[in-house]
Amino acid sequence: MSKTNSDQLHGTLDMLVLKVLEDGPLHGYAIALRLERVSKQVLQVEEGSLYPALYRMESRGWLSSEWSATDTGRRARFYRLTRRGRAQLAAERESWLRLTLAVQAVMRS
Amino acid sequence: MIRHALARLRALVRRDAIAGEIREELQIHVAMRAEDLERQGLSPVDARRQAARRFGNLSVIQDRGYDVRGGGIMETIVQDLRYSLRLFAAQRAFSVVAVLTLAIGVGLSTALFSVIHAAVIRPLPYAAPEQLVRVDVQVPQTGGDIFRLAPSLVDVRTWREDQRVFRHVAVDRGEYNLIVDTGEAERLTVHRVSEGFFDVFDVRPFRGRAFTAEDTRPGTPLVVLLGHSYWRARFGADETMLGRQIRVAGESATIVGILPAGFHPLVSVWQPYPREIVPETIRGSGAPVIARLQPGLSRDLAEKNLSQIVGAFDAAQGKNAATVRLDSLYEETVAGTGPMVGTLSGAVAAILLIACVNVAGLLLARGATRQRELAIRASIGAGRTRLVRQLLTESVVLAAAGGLAGVLLAWVTLDALVAIVPLSLPANVSVSLNIQVLIFAAVVACSTSLIFGLVPALRLSGVTVSTALSGADRRSGAALPRRSGQWLIAAEVALGVVLLAGAGLMIRSFARLVSVNLGYEPESFLTLQVAPLDPSPAVAAQYYPALVAAIRQLPDVEVAGASDQLPIGGRRRAGFVKVADQPPIRIDEREVLPGFFEAIGLPLKQGRFLTDADLAAGKSVVVINEMTARKVFGTVSPVGRLLPVEDRQPEVVGVVGDFLQDGARSPVRANVYFPYAGMDSTERRPLVVFVRPRGAAPGLPVRLREVAQGIGPRVLVDRIWSGADFVSESVTVPRRRMVLLGLLAGVGLLLTVVGIFSMTAYAVARRTREIGVRIAFGADKPDVVRAMVHDAIWPMALGLVAGAGGAFFATRVIASLLFQTTPHDPLALAAALGTLAISAIVAAWIPARRAALVDPVVALRAD
Repeated sequence: MSKTNSDQLHGTLDMLVLKVLEDGPLHGYAIALRLERVSKQVLQVEEGSLYPALYRMESRGWLSSEWSATDTGRRARFYRLTRRGRAQLAAERESWLRLTLAVQAVMRS
Repeated sequence: MIRHALARLRALVRRDAIAGEIREELQIHVAMRAEDLERQGLSPVDARRQAARRFGNLSVIQDRGYDVRGGGIMETIVQDLRYSLRLFAAQRAFSVVAVLTLAIGVGLSTALFSVIHAAVIRPLPYAAPEQLVRVDVQVPQTGGDIFRLAPSLVDVRTWREDQRVFRHVAVDRGEYNLIVDTGEAERLTVHRVSEGFFDVFDVRPFRGRAFTAEDTRPGTPLVVLLGHSYWRARFGADETMLGRQIRVAGESATIVGILPAGFHPLVSVWQPYPREIVPETIRGSGAPVIARLQPGLSRDLAEKNLSQIVGAFDAAQGKNAATVRLDSLYEETVAGTGPMVGTLSGAVAAILLIACVNVAGLLLARGATRQRELAIRASIGAGRTRLVRQLLTESVVLAAAGGLAGVLLAWVTLDALVAIVPLSLPANVSVSLNIQVLIFAAVVACSTSLIFGLVPALRLSGVTVSTALSGADRRSGAALPRRSGQWLIAAEVALGVVLLAGAGLMIRSFARLVSVNLGYEPESFLTLQVAPLDPSPAVAAQYYPALVAAIRQLPDVEVAGASDQLPIGGRRRAGFVKVADQPPIRIDEREVLPGFFEAIGLPLKQGRFLTDADLAAGKSVVVINEMTARKVFGTVSPVGRLLPVEDRQPEVVGVVGDFLQDGARSPVRANVYFPYAGMDSTERRPLVVFVRPRGAAPGLPVRLREVAQGIGPRVLVDRIWSGADFVSESVTVPRRRMVLLGLLAGVGLLLTVVGIFSMTAYAVARRTREIGVRIAFGADKPDVVRAMVHDAIWPMALGLVAGAGGAFFATRVIASLLFQTTPHDPLALAAALGTLAISAIVAAWIPARRAALVDPVVALRAD
């Protein structure tokens, strides 16, 4: 896999995680399930690769995390979007839309 | 950002906690997935297995997660540091040598350049020193000559009033050693200056006031200023000293001010000039004039303007118009220091270079021995960046330790260097460590250690794991370090030769200097410098003959006399001998009490010495030296003839040998010796008593002091020196040159030897296996040693040749510092080459000898 592809994948994964967390805090497994529903592609290789991505985003200040109990009373680490995370999501959505519009325009012409 | 850094720091301390947390989170994920799968109908075992498979390699993911959340780069740095320190501790010899080498390179060069900086770059610690000038008047003579004279007092006054050219202008009569009586008499440095002198340097008195024009008038009561350090030392910084009286050269004086600290610290008392009636319009009265130019005015323009003023004045007087010449005080201060500064800078640069070469050699040698370790680390997954980072950390640790030790060394040696540096440091400059120089030296030394520390890492790409591990590399020692090590040895040897040659020349020159026959016997007499506190001529005229007579009565004294001059140096009193139809012949007039010639061992060539009878009768007789005889009388015998000196006609009764009265480097001068008080003079200087003891006479100085103080008037005994003390003092600067250059050469030689020693030692260590094989196959042990030394011989030979060539050119710089020695003195060069060759071979041989001790069985079984 070339570097560009992996970067794109990183970027896409980041964007999707941010999007998934927009509606409220989730733990890692729940994020994985949501992503699976959206696309089997993103986590195709291994589910575990989600976690380094989460840590990276947390270290960038896009996410915050805390240990808490799930519905079933199990202990898990929950991730929540920070204000900077929301801003990042908005920015990524913006550039994504711009890109898709441009691609559409080209494909329709 | 800060929180992030804190989290990382926390990670450093709590790395286990974080790793555990990550692991727990990942395991929860797998467990949740397994539960879901089970709910979908898989058996618990299958569910677990599939969940784990879908999750991926848990430990790898945990590591990747830790890379993001853990200590990160800081943690690796700490690891690297820890590893480096452990390595240095393990290789103690290497560490000590490397750190000391760096310290010497950095420390010595910093300290010495700091001294040079103080002496040459900023010797005038005043505001805008470029505005400070010395002022001279150039007066055209009728013969076409131009005399360069000090301006007259009237000139100075005119310029001061004019204000266009000089902001301030003053007369600087210079320093005198006068007896100052503050209840306790001592001889002190008294500086005589006109009003405005302190303004020239932009200096205000610390307390009280400066001199006014009124203070300098003849007949006014004497006022003085005290130097700050004298005031502190003598009066404990007592401010009530203002307004009090002290006696300066017998005259009562009022203290009106105290100068600020640091301004001419060696001057104790300042006195106004002239305060006596001097010919105000006569130029060349001997009092130099200094001034501060108006800001922004160039020296050329100032000279032009002043020449106009002076020219107009002279024209009004009906004289030839003089011109004015200005010289920068800065240039005057640093004049003549060039060769010494160049030599010292060169020597220090050479030492810094040798230190760098040493460190480079050490690091290369060590790098070569670590090739295997690095290859192993690379093979088990250390990335190249990681290895470079590790080596970089080691270099930084080394450089930091060396740099730190260097600063310490510079700080410690600075005072010692100030004491022996053969440059005249302006008295009012304090020497402190120069930060720019320190940074420069530290950067040079540290970049050396960085660059050469990284070489092994950079070479790593060329080393395959298999060759490194198979030990193929060790068979002959790795090629690069060996070759480059040899170049380094050559460079070191060459630099060492240049240093040693310079030092050798200084030693040769100094040996010649002190072996010069001065014309008298400095080893065989004592001098007693003593003066009555009462400066009136009548007291002196009585005291000295009585003193000499009393000293002659002492049992240990063979002969005693006196002269108005020191054996070496001191002020001269010029006179002219005028023979009809000839230009006047310049001679030095000296007054002596009989016994002087015999005491210092000046040989009698014709006629007789002066006797007490000459004094008593007040006869007009003189003794002259051979130089005077030759100049005035040619080949005719002068004894019995009259000598037309000034307006007198004394009879010449004897001729004595010449002597070098200003030391070995000065020419012989024409001397005329008058019996004491046989010459009328307005200025009667204190005499110096010369005593030739009989035998060793160890108690004589004490007895002389007692006699000097016990025969009448209150006196001050300044010092009792032997003739040899004067000779020794007269060669202080050349001696310091020799000592300092010898020291630098010694340090250079030491570093070179250490470098060759350690590089050879490493080569032997690296080739233990090869040596073992050789010995196992029956090689002679001496042969093995020779082979090891041989590796060092060629670079040494190359270095010696290059060094000889370098010395040939480099020593030209010091040509002007040498006395009767050519800079290409073959003996000095040969000694330098010999010393270095022998030291270098010994330095290579000692570690090489260890090769012979290699036990083949052990060597081959090693690893």
